Amino acid sequence: MNLEEKIFEELKSVYDPELGINVVDLGLIYSVGITEENDVSITMTLTTPGCPLHNSITSGVRYCVEGIEEVNKVDVNLVWQPAWSPDKMTEDGRRALGR
Amino acid sequence: MLPQNLGTETNIKLPFSFILFSLIALVASQILLLANGHMMTDGTFRIPEIWSAAHLLILGWALMVAMGAMYQLVPVAFLTKIWNEKFGFVQFFITAAGITSFSAMLYFAPQNAVIPGVITLIGIFMFLFQMLMTLRTQANPNILTAFVGTALVCLFLTIFLGITMIYSMKTGFLGEHYQAIFKSHLLLGLTGWFTLLIFGFSYKMVPMFSLAHGFPMVQSRYVYGIYVSGLVLTIISFYSDSSILLKNGFFLLFAGFSIFSWHIRIIVKKRLKKKLDKPFSFALSAIGLGNVIHAAAFMVLLSSKFASLIGPLLYCYILLWIVLSIVGYLYKIVPFLWWTYKYSKEIGKAKVPSLKEMMNEKLIVPVLSVFIGSVLVVFLALVLKTTILFNLGQFVLSVAMLIIASSIFSVLKK
Repeated sequence: MNLEEKIFEELKSVYDPELGINVVDLGLIYSVGITEENDVSITMTLTTPGCPLHNSITSGVRYCVEGIEEVNKVDVNLVWQPAWSPDKMTEDGRRALGR
Repeated sequence: MLPQNLGTETNIKLPFSFILFSLIALVASQILLLANGHMMTDGTFRIPEIWSAAHLLILGWALMVAMGAMYQLVPVAFLTKIWNEKFGFVQFFITAAGITSFSAMLYFAPQNAVIPGVITLIGIFMFLFQMLMTLRTQANPNILTAFVGTALVCLFLTIFLGITMIYSMKTGFLGEHYQAIFKSHLLLGLTGWFTLLIFGFSYKMVPMFSLAHGFPMVQSRYVYGIYVSGLVLTIISFYSDSSILLKNGFFLLFAGFSIFSWHIRIIVKKRLKKKLDKPFSFALSAIGLGNVIHAAAFMVLLSSKFASLIGPLLYCYILLWIVLSIVGYLYKIVPFLWWTYKYSKEIGKAKVPSLKEMMNEKLIVPVLSVFIGSVLVVFLALVLKTTILFNLGQFVLSVAMLIIASSIFSVLKK
């Protein structure tokens, strides 16, 4: 398992506490960039702008990735464009919503 | 892609202070009502104990909870920071001190209630100022701004008319318009302030809690235009004594509420979350109940029973639309605030509970069903003027309110 795969696997432990679905299956993680020094840059969104959980979830993502041994620095970039849409969810995420 | 770190979160201690105070006021008001309920059925409800309970319920609970919810929801809905949080804490202490001393004075020495009343007013005006300054900084005002902004104007007018009524009682000033002022005070307080506020925030909370996407918003403009026109027309009818204007006003209020109801239905149909949380479902059912009450009020106006039925209908409107909506959303807001306080630094490091796990959801369906049932019993008792039925309904209702308050408090143990 390479580092990117490991990061995605670890991020599955970060849940949106309102929906009870992890940030990967919700499709909130847009991209994970890794430099040669293993500095990680995560670009992510939330299901709605102004989501009151925005600090909690982005901090959770940072703490989670910082906990991976090989990772050096972590930068979390929250974006609203492109906006989140349901088609970004995984099959598991949709199932968790009862779809 | 534009990176954004909005940083619009409110210090949760601020909304929490208001909501905790409101729950204590709710418990106190229900205990007072239970202890003095027999007076109401005797028709002697204009006594200090009942004044105290009523003001604890309306100002201490409903107004404080609305203020707390606004400190939490305005940054969420308008993507803007609260203008001055320190000012918010000062406003909380002044308003809380004002309402507590005002209710206590009404109970023990009503003749000395003027100064606590003025302190309460200062607190409310500070809140209005805070919200004005906050909404001014919103980058892109939208239809939600119109709903919430108009609701705040209505709150100001409600207070203004309340003061005018007191002045009129003492001096006879505008005495010939006293009834019109009283009716406008009620209409602006209930349908202007509370209803427009719930409409506005519902447009943010309903899609958020149901995870709805791809729904139209054009209907909200009609809701705003028609409902506010109904308000204006109804108020004009009070002063001109025109029954045609009153009928048209009531019809527009009913039509505006119906479009809101229909629009929320469209939004909920576009949801991704198949199974909705129980408290949120009750907040949605409050919309249906509000719509039925608006329809009933319009039909009663066309009949000869208006004078005898409007009071019981107003009672239902307050309890089944305003209070049920607030309670439904409180079951969502309080767990969120406590979760943020206790677990937001744990997420990503350790396993944290979901918001749903922060409360006993099994209790919600029976207790809110009993709440609705007991309100209907009191409504029937008021229509039929049956004392035993009233006592029974009010007793069960007060107990249900106490269980609701304690179940919300129990979130703090999680």
